[in-house]
Amino acid sequence: MSVSRLQQLKGHILAENKIKEMSASPSPLTTHVLNTAQGVPGSNMALRLYRQDPSTNTWNLITTGTTNDDGRCPGLITKEMFTSGVYKMLFETAQYWASMEETCFYPYVEIVFSINDPGQKYHIPLLLSRFSYSTYRGS
Amino acid sequence: MSAAESSPLTTHVLNTSDGVPAARMALSLHRLDSNLKIWTLLNIGTINQDGRCPELISGADFTAGMYKLRFETGSYWESLGKTSFYPYVEVVFTVRDQDQTFHLPLLFTPFSYSTYRGS
Repeated sequence: MSVSRLQQLKGHILAENKIKEMSASPSPLTTHVLNTAQGVPGSNMALRLYRQDPSTNTWNLITTGTTNDDGRCPGLITKEMFTSGVYKMLFETAQYWASMEETCFYPYVEIVFSINDPGQKYHIPLLLSRFSYSTYRGS
Repeated sequence: MSAAESSPLTTHVLNTSDGVPAARMALSLHRLDSNLKIWTLLNIGTINQDGRCPELISGADFTAGMYKLRFETGSYWESLGKTSFYPYVEVVFTVRDQDQTFHLPLLFTPFSYSTYRGS
């Protein structure tokens, strides 16, 4: 193989890695849903992220998603869109339990939180059973 | 409400960061109007020194439906000179059987909270 051909291939490989890096730029806001009753990730749970419009106090939908097998939902928001403000995560908890033919005390869970420094990372887990839930600011 | 007729819905709010009841926290109880899909304010109250708020609702008023307890956690922390991650906490729950009692505690810190259906 010629030197120039090798250099060409090296260029392709490095470019591919660059593209992967850019698309993998992680969301500054993440979540993790855990079904603590069964000791498994809360997978396939529908969720929505909203930001409050400070002038009207109405909620603007930013992202609709579903948790993956690991109970996570990558790509919730981009760094550019993640401005200071009041946000709300809505988790469709009753729907989740209904898919397992169980009822849930909570038709949904809404967690409203304030972002004053969007340069930081924010991790919002939800630990959930049919009759309890907890959340915290994690890392 | 007489002493014999206590509210079928009770709460207990605990500041687990300082290990004290969340005295003087404001809260409100709402019911979802099933036709209009809007929340109706039923009662407002203040947490007492024991972290409780008696007489939230009467047995007669506590019909089956979807309810929301809203706790003014942000204002509470502000009154203590602290910031917190959550401007308020709303717990939305379903009452299918109005003859049962429902105890909804809230354990919270500036950066976490948990709730459960207790007794």
